[in-house]
Amino acid sequence: MPFLDHRDFQVRYELDGPVGAPCFVFVNGLTQYSELWEVYRKALVAKEFRVATFDLLGQGQSDKPALFVDQEDQVTILGMLIASLGKEPIFLSGISFGGVIALRYAIANNEKIAGLVAMSTFPELSPQLLLLGTAMRSGLVLGGTTYLQDLLLPMNVSDAWLGPVLDRLKAVKRQGWLTNDLYALQNLMESFLEFSPLTPKLGAIRVPTLILNGEYDFLTPRRLHDILRVNIPDSKMVIMPRAFHAFTLEKPALTADLHARFAVEVLAGTWHGGQSVMIAPDEPGGELIPFPAGYDHLRAIPTAPSAA
Amino acid sequence: MTDLASTEPSNSRIPAAQQTRIAAFLISAHGFLARQLSLSLPARFDAAWHTELHAHAFRQAEIVSLLMRTTEWLPDMLLPWLTLTWEVAWQAPPPEGFPDAGIARLMDLAAFGHALHGAIRPATVFPDAPLTEPFVVALRRIEFESGRLIQAQMLVLKDQRFLSQRTLIVSAVERRHAQIQALWTEMLKSLGLTERQQ
Repeated sequence: MPFLDHRDFQVRYELDGPVGAPCFVFVNGLTQYSELWEVYRKALVAKEFRVATFDLLGQGQSDKPALFVDQEDQVTILGMLIASLGKEPIFLSGISFGGVIALRYAIANNEKIAGLVAMSTFPELSPQLLLLGTAMRSGLVLGGTTYLQDLLLPMNVSDAWLGPVLDRLKAVKRQGWLTNDLYALQNLMESFLEFSPLTPKLGAIRVPTLILNGEYDFLTPRRLHDILRVNIPDSKMVIMPRAFHAFTLEKPALTADLHARFAVEVLAGTWHGGQSVMIAPDEPGGELIPFPAGYDHLRAIPTAPSAA
Repeated sequence: MTDLASTEPSNSRIPAAQQTRIAAFLISAHGFLARQLSLSLPARFDAAWHTELHAHAFRQAEIVSLLMRTTEWLPDMLLPWLTLTWEVAWQAPPPEGFPDAGIARLMDLAAFGHALHGAIRPATVFPDAPLTEPFVVALRRIEFESGRLIQAQMLVLKDQRFLSQRTLIVSAVERRHAQIQALWTEMLKSLGLTERQQ
């Protein structure tokens, strides 16, 4: 298991795929760990991509700073990993908390990546998100990691996913419970205490950017993704049908396929972002269709966009 | 809940030798914290945070009591030596560099508590053990309570009033984490166990 050294800390990473190939770098969400990208690793390596995954400071097999975790440290570590990958095109992809780290890296290092995939993420803390985050922190403090898992799981995946595993939820949550330490999770959450909105800086991201948003994601709803779309010039927002916040776990084959297609288009020079809004297919390989003209993609009911 | 409500007699699958040494380690560490906190308690409270200190001291005593009663004890020839080693380690002098000896002691005590409640996750040693075993339930309870108890340490260690000494504080906490984690891991290894068995 290889590690990167950052200050006194060690950061665990994994790298697979052919040397010299374009590389995807995945950044975990809050309670995640490197192994959760396994489907992506296999699917993308099979398509001749390299895949790098790692545990953020405070997660999984990486060191867990006892008191404070600075988001700048996470961005620095991500930069170290990307620098170690050579000169082949880098496609950076992050979900949720990891999406914020990826956005911060892309803003400061636009020239070092070929493309960005922002999933279930946010450039600023809306009042709802701020209060939800605060409530999650309180839940963690009062009820431990088990409570946080119990809360997040039904929020983040669909009934269709939960139904078949209802009788073995303990096994589903087991690895997350073993891996996540309360104080480390709390430190990661508290790294948002001094978070400044990224919105004014998003224009610095000039690379092709694929924004993926679950249709039913109420943790980071469409409006937050739309801020990314509107402020990143070469972006495209794709709505994942019947998906919630954690569609990377629920629909890994489809999401990996969208990643591969994005990279292929960018490398071939056929990518056109155009700040467009599309709807993903239900299955890998299906056709993306434009969001119907004349309707407001920010609404849950079919209404025309307001003049404002 | 069905498991927890069971009145079936314990037929533990966790060997008594393992229970004994694990319990002895935790009793030593939580007992040390209980003693330190009890000594800090004034006879009459004149500050709001004294109430928190009081609760904290008695939570440590509860953990010790719980382990005394739930452990299937077995004579362990190495235990006197191990206990002495642990007790000496807990008594390590406070870290240097703080401008005030009192602050140094306070921070070291908070650092010890942070490490004990954060770095040690007793429930993950036997993650799949049945909740019909009192010892297993005790480990779960200790880990659960640790998540709440560590908050008091965080309040002290992250207090803005000590911002200028943050580097020293972080170093003190990392030192106690490394110490306690090393002794815990070594003790488990002596039993052929690891934390977070996958």
